[in-house]
Amino acid sequence: MKALTLDNIARSFGGLPAVDGVSLQAPPGRITGLIGPNGAGKTTVVNLITGLLKVGGGRILVGDDDMTEADAPTLARAGVARTFQNIRLIGDATVLDNVVAGFHRHEKAGTLANMLGLPSAHHERREFERKAHALLDRFGMTALARHPAGSLSYGHQRRIEMMRALAMEPSVLLLDEPVAGMNDAEAYSLADIFRDVARQGVAILLIEHNMRFVMSLCEHIYVLAFGRLIAEGTPDEVAGNPRVIEAYLGS
Amino acid sequence: MLMQQLLNGVVVGSVYGLFALGFTLIFGVNHIMNMAHGTVFMWGAFAGLYAVMLFDVPFPVAVLIGALGGGTVSVVLDWVAFRPLRKRGAPEFSSIVSSIGASLILLSLAQQLTATRVMRFPFDIFPIVVFSFFGLRIQLLQLVIIGIVVLMVIGLLYYLYRTSFGRQIRSVAFSESTSKLLGINPFAINFQVFFISGALAGIAGVLIGIVFNSVHFMMGEPLLLRAFVVIILGGLGSIPGALIAGLLIGIIQTLTVAYLSAGLADAIVFSALFLVLLVRPTGLFGGTAAVARVTRR
Amino acid sequence: MIGFLNSYAPLLELALFNALLAFSQYVVLRAGVFSLGTAAFAALGAYAAAILATKLAMPTWLGLVAAFGIGTLAGALVAIPLARLRGVFQALATLALVQIVLSITLNWVDLTEGALGINSIPKTVGLVGMLVAVVVVGYFLAVIGSSSIGRAFDIIREDETVAVSLGISVPKHHMIAFILSGAIAGLAGGLHAYNSYSITPNEYGFNMLVIVLAMVVLGGRVSIWGPLVGAVILTVLPELLRGFQEYRMVVQGALLMVSIVFLPRGVADTALAALRRRRIATAKAKTGTVTA
Repeated sequence: MKALTLDNIARSFGGLPAVDGVSLQAPPGRITGLIGPNGAGKTTVVNLITGLLKVGGGRILVGDDDMTEADAPTLARAGVARTFQNIRLIGDATVLDNVVAGFHRHEKAGTLANMLGLPSAHHERREFERKAHALLDRFGMTALARHPAGSLSYGHQRRIEMMRALAMEPSVLLLDEPVAGMNDAEAYSLADIFRDVARQGVAILLIEHNMRFVMSLCEHIYVLAFGRLIAEGTPDEVAGNPRVIEAYLGS
Repeated sequence: MLMQQLLNGVVVGSVYGLFALGFTLIFGVNHIMNMAHGTVFMWGAFAGLYAVMLFDVPFPVAVLIGALGGGTVSVVLDWVAFRPLRKRGAPEFSSIVSSIGASLILLSLAQQLTATRVMRFPFDIFPIVVFSFFGLRIQLLQLVIIGIVVLMVIGLLYYLYRTSFGRQIRSVAFSESTSKLLGINPFAINFQVFFISGALAGIAGVLIGIVFNSVHFMMGEPLLLRAFVVIILGGLGSIPGALIAGLLIGIIQTLTVAYLSAGLADAIVFSALFLVLLVRPTGLFGGTAAVARVTRR
Repeated sequence: MIGFLNSYAPLLELALFNALLAFSQYVVLRAGVFSLGTAAFAALGAYAAAILATKLAMPTWLGLVAAFGIGTLAGALVAIPLARLRGVFQALATLALVQIVLSITLNWVDLTEGALGINSIPKTVGLVGMLVAVVVVGYFLAVIGSSSIGRAFDIIREDETVAVSLGISVPKHHMIAFILSGAIAGLAGGLHAYNSYSITPNEYGFNMLVIVLAMVVLGGRVSIWGPLVGAVILTVLPELLRGFQEYRMVVQGALLMVSIVFLPRGVADTALAALRRRRIATAKAKTGTVTA
């Protein structure tokens, strides 16, 4: 049970601030929303949290650990998982293999055991596949386990990404526009899964463009515009905030 | 004696620089490693040589034809080897493979054409005039070569930094997708980049062919290998870097051959490359901004 | 059968040697490493084995262990600086490595006999020995390929951002790939030295680099069948083209270009993918008729 805390983080590109002093908290067990119009800096925030970009200032905490200087693999191993706004799967690999890849941070069998094909490596692989099948079951995709991920529909690919992130058994889960391009029925069936995951004590940060979806799902919402936080609060408070309305309508 | 060798090193090194300039230009703009650049250089030398042999043209015209020949081969190379991959958005790896394939073909054709012979420019292609001062012997040819290289570099810099074409090339180098949004035609840009790059290589080919008094189908390979060292040393995509590193490699090589042994030259030059990658992968003259493009995230 | 084997043994041995080299190239490409160092590692292995046999009269097994060892060591040493570099730079640096090794084997005449190469090496490895080596190496590569290391290789090759987001260490896996590549090529070089009576520096130069790269590009770099298919095609092709000796390089070059443009995944991987698609399609058709 770890919270994600951003303390006044900043980052600029070629002198132009993309994220400017953003502080927020995503406590465990809660779905926290981060919304904002296009170009507000939402994906930059995700890339800063996951260590793909270096922070220009401020601090990033996962639980009580200072992760400001950590690189991407270190953060992933510390339990920060993410999905990508533009789906990034290994298209030629099967659905199962894509999901199993998520378990990487839990691997215990050593390099040598894997190279020599020792039983410990075999057992581990079977264990991961069993868990991956459980995830496939939960997302209703068992029948597609052996299909190449790239051959499936957009909605299915989004689910595979989600399963891969969940396979990491994360403490912090960043969802970067997870329902973009889905219809309402698909989106709301995923919402149930998100609630379920949060209930197990995962801190979820949901980055979305779709206001309606965020409002229905999140307990607490931060609003980003031009790299700065302009509002925060419950969905009702945010929806009634004139600055938020201006930011969305003005853009 | 040392001064004399240094001078010879500077002359050879400036031609290396000229060759590497075209290589680094393509690298900087298209992020492609053109493994066929050595064969473009060789075909440039061939174009100049055949013009002299068949039509008895004078030195300046031979250089010009070398430039035209190199430029043409380079543009065709772009169309055949790189454009199909660019359309697919293929990564660096496939460009390397495809240009190796193209270089094999260009190499083999040259071999057929010349029946594997080593050919020479006629001796009177350039008058042998030697100046000597302070005990240093400088040939007119050496001065002309340095002059040509300086001229080409100034011309290239002017083109890149003072003309609107140059601005477009630099903007494509910075971000191809953004440039497309700005209405820049990548087709025209690639045509220019490959032609300029090939022309520089072609000029270098004619000059090297005259200096070493030999033109043969394998002449591009050692130059290409040296160009790799030059661009690593100079920092990728850096024009002054390529020039300085070119001079440096020319001098190191000449001194090694003169004072140690010819065989060691390669070992020393390539070990230098390794050392630089180990200590300073952005190159001796690359800025810190280049780090992101050299190392992994 | 025996007669057939005798007349084709040299060709088969060459194909097996090429297959080992292709394995060495394959393992780095699969991990998204643009190493071109296979020729250098093979040269080190070949010279270690040849020198031990001719100058020190060491037994074959010791020579092969030395060849394997020196290849592994070279792979590890190269990996340290190169694992953190981007692909093009790995390619350039390993190309330089090939040149450095070539220049050493050409110039350290006391040890390597220079350009003439080392001759009259006792032939102690035959067709069976080469075959065993290919099977053993192929088996281990298949095991590694289906383990978590192979999966990590695939993810790194396809999308490094995803790899690091899953906690996969890119330098670590690139290091593993380099070491495997060095070990396999070193062993291949040693076997070749004991199989061919003589070795020369120029065998292990730019030409070998190109041919080995071509094998894997043509064959494919995901399944272990890729390098095998590539090695067989590019060993047999020159034999078939013997009448057109002058055009051999043109054909190889064209093959390289055509396969990277039209068959970017290689013959074997494309065929395997098609096979898998067909299996799924027939499975679907069957379940379809059941539910209907």
